Amino acid sequence: MSHSPARRAARRARTVVVTALAAATALTITACAGPSVGATAGSDDATAEAVDWSQVEPAKEITWWSNHPGESKVVEEKFIDEFKAETGISVNLVTAGADYDEVAQRFQAASQTDELPDLVIASDVWWFRYHLNDQIMPLDDVMEFLDADAADFQPALYSDYEYDDQHWAVPYARSTPLFYYNKDLWAGAGLPDRGPETWAELEEWDASLKKEVPEKGSTFGLSTGPSWGAWWFENMIWGQGGAYSDGFELTLDAPEAIAGGQFVHDLFHESGVATLSADDAMADFSSGLIASTIGSTGSLKGALDAAKFDVGTAYLPDGPQGGGTPTGGTGLAIPSSKTPEEQLAAAMFLEFLTNTENTAAFSQNTGYMPVRTSAVESDTMTKTYEQTPQFRTAVDQLADKARKQDDVRVFVPGADALLNEALEQIVIEGTDPKTAFESVTPRIETAYTENVEPYLGAQD
Amino acid sequence: MTTTATPRAPEDSGAGPARSAIPGRTRPQRLHRSRLGASRRRKALLWALLLAGPNVVLLLVFVYRPLLQSLYLSTLQWNLGSPTARFVGLGNYIEWFSAPTTGRIVTTTIVFTVATVGGAMVLGLGLALLLNSRLRGRGVARTVAFAPYVLGGFAVGILWLFMFDPRYGLIQEVLGWVGLASPQWYTGRPWPLVMVIVVYLWKNLGYVALIYLAGLQAVPQDLRDAAALDGASSARTLRSVVLPLLTPTTFFLLVTMLLSSLQSFDIIKAMTQGGPLGSTTTLMYSIYEESFVNGRAGYASAVATILFLVLLAVTAVQMRFVQRKVHYA
Repeated sequence: MSHSPARRAARRARTVVVTALAAATALTITACAGPSVGATAGSDDATAEAVDWSQVEPAKEITWWSNHPGESKVVEEKFIDEFKAETGISVNLVTAGADYDEVAQRFQAASQTDELPDLVIASDVWWFRYHLNDQIMPLDDVMEFLDADAADFQPALYSDYEYDDQHWAVPYARSTPLFYYNKDLWAGAGLPDRGPETWAELEEWDASLKKEVPEKGSTFGLSTGPSWGAWWFENMIWGQGGAYSDGFELTLDAPEAIAGGQFVHDLFHESGVATLSADDAMADFSSGLIASTIGSTGSLKGALDAAKFDVGTAYLPDGPQGGGTPTGGTGLAIPSSKTPEEQLAAAMFLEFLTNTENTAAFSQNTGYMPVRTSAVESDTMTKTYEQTPQFRTAVDQLADKARKQDDVRVFVPGADALLNEALEQIVIEGTDPKTAFESVTPRIETAYTENVEPYLGAQD
Repeated sequence: MTTTATPRAPEDSGAGPARSAIPGRTRPQRLHRSRLGASRRRKALLWALLLAGPNVVLLLVFVYRPLLQSLYLSTLQWNLGSPTARFVGLGNYIEWFSAPTTGRIVTTTIVFTVATVGGAMVLGLGLALLLNSRLRGRGVARTVAFAPYVLGGFAVGILWLFMFDPRYGLIQEVLGWVGLASPQWYTGRPWPLVMVIVVYLWKNLGYVALIYLAGLQAVPQDLRDAAALDGASSARTLRSVVLPLLTPTTFFLLVTMLLSSLQSFDIIKAMTQGGPLGSTTTLMYSIYEESFVNGRAGYASAVATILFLVLLAVTAVQMRFVQRKVHYA
């Protein structure tokens, strides 16, 4: 019976189905694209082969992922048109997110696909992660081939992207935090037309300013959040002589770091000088609700346009141990997986975007710092500084006060968000700084051991 | 409701018309019928493959493949975007169960789910009863009630964020009229969680009400009439006639709402980004945060697998126990 033709036919049919299903399942499983397991991490393929750029014909079309920092979409489109007229190369501008983090997340998600752009925004807390993952190429060679005069970039800004003696991005929309103040309220309070030199001075001024601000307002307001809170807080922790880290060694348990946490705690919960802005402190400032705030250089144009009062800008105040300002904002990087033709076209556009004239035009339209020394002294910027002296503050502050950011915040994936979490514990809930720092320390250490240390080892 | 399968002989497990199992039947006839049957079966099978094939392929590629891939990734320590990873076995799962944040995330998820599902069911039923009554402008009211459901979650979140603003928002203004101060919706626990729950409820209420409305209109009028004849009050009719007959609807809504609530992401992302201090970080949101913010794709996959198992368990429990209580008219 079991050998009947009908049975054989049925069995054959079943076999066909089972085989088809098995094949489909196998296909499903093997199609699981993903990382190779156990391979040497950070093998630095990107640097393995030097390309002879003189033999490469640039691609005719490239894609650029941007979040248009400082509401710069129109300016970016103008650059793209001019670049096309000059070189014939088309650039597709893609709004790849609302902020640096969103662009970065999209870039990470696309990293296993062929949907990557030819040029991408790479912010202070993201470019190193791209580099660790071999996602971006070193730019020194190709910039030299294009005579891009890298020496003319502001040294403090260009050196931010240096690792292993190579530069992995070039500065584009670069900023520092600035102290913004409402000149009208300042005048009403009888204060000199300048920012406070120290945080102690702001506390002294608080009594007279409080009388001037509207109901529910305050002398000073701040907002927190990823890619933001842990940035401006560097000024305060440095002002007390502390830091997040020394190299990759966390120093959050040092008395000076805890003093930094205590300072911000007291600013909100003891002296009451500061209030937490519900969403965006810059919006509260522009509406006149708070008399002063810390905002990015990139918010300057927006603040000047939105505020109905005179906006003043000043250096960040010092603490008892000095202070300084972190640099931040974003650079531009070129993915390592693109063809040399696409990379060359992207590098040409990069060179065009950051040439003296365009970097000045970008700064003029957004408030971001001119990233080239030559641009600072250009006619465009001289005129801008004459008309709107607020633009000058960031450039001067960069020269006088810039300090390299602490490694852990910018180099350890996720550390920025965790440091912000500790800061929020202090600011929102009034948690004792020591406890707040202790709560995030093990997670930052895990992030380092998992996502940085193994890769560094492989690269040494 | 359920069918019981009669056990078949193992050799009879193939599809197709039933064959005689009585031995000794005339061979030629059986052979003939079998041949015919076999060819028909082959045809039927080919047709089945042809018709179901595209669906099966889509399911495999877009449902089972990611599922398997996620399972595989959950055994790795992988920095999202990196070309390399390290095998850690069950390490990510062990870490999740021992992480200090897990308790908070699970509690937040439970509070969010119970409040949104429970709230939507109760309020949705109330709204449906209201919309089912003979009111003027009922058609407009139904449209207005359903409209939020078709709006994008992200846009809804941003709009409500303006309304909740403790300094300028509409809500603080309204509270001001009755002499109440606005809670710190963005920063003071537990208000951020309350805020996202309210918005989620507002967005999904119309959907629940619409489905309940359909259920209400399917309640046979003669049963209502019979209840009325027996002298039942409208409250008694609701309790003893309408609600029991609505149990299939309630069951359906419970399953779908639970699943969608446990997977909700857009409103949280738009309004609070899981914060402040993780107070609105649900299991679903933590998956996003671990993978895309912290780059820990392996760990995030382990959390995703845990969420998958939770959803599976919740659905299985509902199918097994809750469905028993369902009455069909």
